[in-house]
Amino acid sequence: MIATLLDIVTSAAILYAVAAGLLIVFGVMKIINFAHGGFLTIGGYSALAVTKLGWNPWASLVFATGIGFVAGMIIERLVVKPLYSRPLDAILATWGLGIIIGQLITIAFGREVQFVQSPMSGAIEFAGASYSSYRLVLVLAATVIGVGIAALLQKTRLGLVTRAVIMNEDLARGLGINSGLVRFFTFSLGAALASLAGALITPLSSVDPNMGVPWLVNAFMLVLVSGVSFMSLLVATVVFGGAQVLVSTYVSPVLGGLTIVVAAAVLMRVRPQGFSRE
Amino acid sequence: MSSAGIQGVAGSPAVAGKARSDFRRVIVFSVVALAVIGVAPYVLDTFMVNSLIRGFLYAAVALTVDVLWGYTGVLTFGQSAFFGIGAYAAGLIFTHVGFSLGYAALALAAGVVAAIVVAGIIGWLSFYHGASPLYASVVSLVLPIVLTQVIYTGGEFTGSSSGLSGFESFDVSMELWFWVAGGYLVLLTAGAWLFVRSDAGRILIAIRDNEPRCEYLGINASRVKILLLTAGAVVAAIAGYAFACAQMVVAPEYTGFVFGTELVIWVALGGRGTLLGPVIGTLLIDTSTSYLSGNLPFYWKLIIGLAFVIVIVAIPKGLMPLIGGLFGRRRGEATVEVPTLVEAAATPFAGLEGAGRLAVELKGVRRHYGSLKVLEGIDFSVKRGELLSLVGPNGAGKTTLMRCLSDGYERSGGSIHINDHDAARLPPHRIVGFGIGRKFQTANAFDTLTVAESLRIARTRIAGPAFFSREATLALPKAALQVIRATGLDAVMGVEAKHLSHGMKQALELAMVLSLEPSVLLLDEPTAGLTKPERTMIGTILTDLVRDHGLCILLVEHDLDFVREISSRVIVLHQGRIVLDGTVAEVVESELVRTIYSGGLHAPAKP
Repeated sequence: MIATLLDIVTSAAILYAVAAGLLIVFGVMKIINFAHGGFLTIGGYSALAVTKLGWNPWASLVFATGIGFVAGMIIERLVVKPLYSRPLDAILATWGLGIIIGQLITIAFGREVQFVQSPMSGAIEFAGASYSSYRLVLVLAATVIGVGIAALLQKTRLGLVTRAVIMNEDLARGLGINSGLVRFFTFSLGAALASLAGALITPLSSVDPNMGVPWLVNAFMLVLVSGVSFMSLLVATVVFGGAQVLVSTYVSPVLGGLTIVVAAAVLMRVRPQGFSRE
Repeated sequence: MSSAGIQGVAGSPAVAGKARSDFRRVIVFSVVALAVIGVAPYVLDTFMVNSLIRGFLYAAVALTVDVLWGYTGVLTFGQSAFFGIGAYAAGLIFTHVGFSLGYAALALAAGVVAAIVVAGIIGWLSFYHGASPLYASVVSLVLPIVLTQVIYTGGEFTGSSSGLSGFESFDVSMELWFWVAGGYLVLLTAGAWLFVRSDAGRILIAIRDNEPRCEYLGINASRVKILLLTAGAVVAAIAGYAFACAQMVVAPEYTGFVFGTELVIWVALGGRGTLLGPVIGTLLIDTSTSYLSGNLPFYWKLIIGLAFVIVIVAIPKGLMPLIGGLFGRRRGEATVEVPTLVEAAATPFAGLEGAGRLAVELKGVRRHYGSLKVLEGIDFSVKRGELLSLVGPNGAGKTTLMRCLSDGYERSGGSIHINDHDAARLPPHRIVGFGIGRKFQTANAFDTLTVAESLRIARTRIAGPAFFSREATLALPKAALQVIRATGLDAVMGVEAKHLSHGMKQALELAMVLSLEPSVLLLDEPTAGLTKPERTMIGTILTDLVRDHGLCILLVEHDLDFVREISSRVIVLHQGRIVLDGTVAEVVESELVRTIYSGGLHAPAKP
């Protein structure tokens, strides 16, 4: 019982960490970044590179974030910027980017499944149950990411400008805000967050060139039902992450894997605004 | 279109000739293509023949993606699922039940029916009034993911991840399969070519350009898309069935969303909205893949990915228009066909039992956005033959009221009846059926359609379009013809609407709304940006409509001189409430109205 509850909390935390970068890009740029899965993969392989270089596994978090940010900067300028006015085409182009990233990684690292050294192992006693300590660390990491984004948006000047662009980009531009720069920074930040999430989740499983795709689809559904609110995203990850864990545990793991996509699609049909309050 | 509605002389020979030449071109193209396919197996090696069988069937599915995405604007990643449904119908029945001609027919029927059922469910999920295009793409992505997982869980029954193979199938030569698949593709391409160029095909483009406006012209865009998706599903399922029969293997990859996205890539590279582009793109890429993926497995996919991104960013129309441009295929476009205008027999109250007791009746209509009350306690009714102007300062709620009148989802409370029919929570296309015609403030209906095509779209509800041809005449009601002739639109029937001047665009909008033959006409600032003579002309047409045809007109207008000249009644809105409802004289003399317009009044006052 406690284990299931912990599974729900940690699953929600992982989903939140994975979806946060996608949400901020969607909020500001109104496009779904299908390269998010690719950035996640980049993060996973950054962690693998750290393992292969024999560095401290914790360094992979910083390393992955940096690589993701740089990759995001390059891609925003080359590919995403020309597509501001064509959101459906932006989906396609970023999907193509995902393919390119996957293939480049395959060429560089090979297509086989590989394993990353975990920064910490073992289990700890928690409320009478023994639980993977790394999964609990992930809850902490997701909290840091969530609080960090909130602080960035609420407490900094950049955050204020970003919120203005989210609410009304035309008006913000009219007030002299360089929305192009906001978009540039946002996309790079989204890529960095995806890459960080990729590095965070790899110790739980393994890396392969297509590891980002299933995460992408789930994160994408969570973002769509959350509107552009990080609070809604939190609710969505807890509800859907919880449903996923329950279905996987008590019904079947395969159906569990489908829970989020199906539930989100149905939710949006009956309540198009999803978890956001209109 | 029914010829019963046409009073004038039929068809200009030029258009009829053009339509015939279209048909002839398709026949010539099909015969040549079929001849090439007939000879090809004797020339090509076995490997190539085998690759092309698969390529033909993939291209048939790519065609459905092109019609849905390129023409209608529905980006779909899910057509692979229907291909897989057709393939698994064959694989499952031949493996578990056995093979005979009867079972083969049964498998085909099962595949097609399953595809129709799934397409219906997906269509219901994806397409409804107010759905975002992104959502439809999402659902199309979910479908193949779910289906693949279902197949994985099927264990031995579905063959799980390795699929089914080694089942018995038709005992025919590879050449025959080549001919069947090739013939299927040619017939589909020819049919699709005629369809997208027909009057009905223009509806797809109208939906792509401006779906909400289609709704307000009485077209059930959601239903059109569901039907289109279902037809595409059937085409894809048959292709999948043929694939399973010819290759005697089915696997989860053929239903998966990677295949679904590959289809989109092929269509994008070939050229969306060109039909031939996606077919050629699919054949080239798929056959190249079968040759090259062995030699440079990762690099080939990388090249495709790079090409895809570059095309989307730099050449969004794909490669086909580029190639077409090289060969000077554009010459045909210089002569745009223009149908002859004729007058349609009047069909007032089409689809209704008759005129209602009241044209419009509102009781306690409210509209709130959160705590902001834009409309509150709106009660009034309008009879036929009234020309009612709604006036009030900016933000008084005039346009919101227009919106509530034409879309049942808009209001937060209260009831609205149009010609005695309850607007309930009905979408705009249903309310158009009650006799509403709404002209929008901004005139930007369908960018890529010509004036004549836009007008025909507006006639869809009453006349119904031709599915595989183009009518040589365009029958419009008298009032619409008046507007067209008075503004000179008849001289630019073949011009794309986006190239018109502002005044002409306004006139086209008005003519389109009048083509609906509404009994209740909603006009949002019909004279904005027009010159004085144009304004006078529109005023005359409106008063004529009220006098001669008993129309009820509701007008939102800032030009108070115009309001004074033509209105029979005026309602003054202020801060979401009715503050005055009376004759023109009463309103003009009202101290209250002067105060409101000079900005002196802030709290809503009782009339």
